[in-house]
Amino acid sequence: MPDELDPVIHAPARLRVVASLAALGRGDEVAFPKLRKLLDMTAGNLSTHLRKLEDAGYVRVTKTHEGRMPATYLALTETGRTAFADYQAALMDLLKGVQG
Amino acid sequence: MADHDNPAGERARAGDDPEAGSDRGLSPAETLRMIRQQQEAARDATEPDGRLLFGVWGLAWLVGYLAMWTSARDTGTPERWAGWVLAGCIVGAMAFTIVHSITRTAGTRGASARIGALYGWTWFLAFTTFGVLIGAMGDAGAPPEVMAIAANGVACLIVGIMYIAGGLLFDENRMSAVGAWMLVTAALAAFAGMPNTYLVMAVAGGGGFLAMVVVEQGIRARRRSTGAVAATPGGGRDA
Repeated sequence: MPDELDPVIHAPARLRVVASLAALGRGDEVAFPKLRKLLDMTAGNLSTHLRKLEDAGYVRVTKTHEGRMPATYLALTETGRTAFADYQAALMDLLKGVQG
Repeated sequence: MADHDNPAGERARAGDDPEAGSDRGLSPAETLRMIRQQQEAARDATEPDGRLLFGVWGLAWLVGYLAMWTSARDTGTPERWAGWVLAGCIVGAMAFTIVHSITRTAGTRGASARIGALYGWTWFLAFTTFGVLIGAMGDAGAPPEVMAIAANGVACLIVGIMYIAGGLLFDENRMSAVGAWMLVTAALAAFAGMPNTYLVMAVAGGGGFLAMVVVEQGIRARRRSTGAVAATPGGGRDA
């Protein structure tokens, strides 16, 4: 039997955030506005989910300046990548259980 | 994806909200499919589209080198207008590649962005050197046939090596395969003689790029249609 699905990732909105960040290369970051547009979320909603993911150690938030404009970049941490891989593996176990 | 988050986020439980209901409602297969679609959307938003780039370069080579071949068939050497057509095609494809790549990768930073920028600059430097070399050969009095062999062969050599290197850098084996094919094209073009060397460039070179558009499209379509089950170990038995 697979372990209980990771509740931090299992919420659909956060799953979409994590899946998007996992599509980036290792060591790559995406700017907050670009991620928000990709996910079609409000800024407040995305911030809330990112904070939960950051608290869990899955997402790294880097605040910086580009010229005079503040900019925020997001990336999946190694912990986050592992958690996402485990989550997908657990889903596949469930799928096999259904089919088998 | 049809779901739209609202500020209430995961606490929302409205019956007709697919996002809210899906917390417990999505089956593992549906969830895996959603992950795959989301990642495809993320890649589309952050990486250049191989189909577009292969397509643009395929057309540029096909049209440009066909112009060279057509005009060289009568007199043995390409005419000036054909040279301008080829130059226009190459410059147009370059401009498209730069704008498309910058647009797609805007808002990302990190290792891929750095490698991508260096890779782009390497293309620029390589073809600047190419222009200088060909110019120097002309100044030294190389006959048109030798110039044609050198220009076509070295262009294919650079493209071939850069595509193989790109395939290694970006972990894209298909890109390396195109590079290897371009090295074959260099050899074919070198022995084709005038004016058929240009036909080889148009058909084998341009055609090679265009074949990759079909390959890329096929891979995308298959990935989409097989669904999440294809991702399970042991393949999609009984989807």
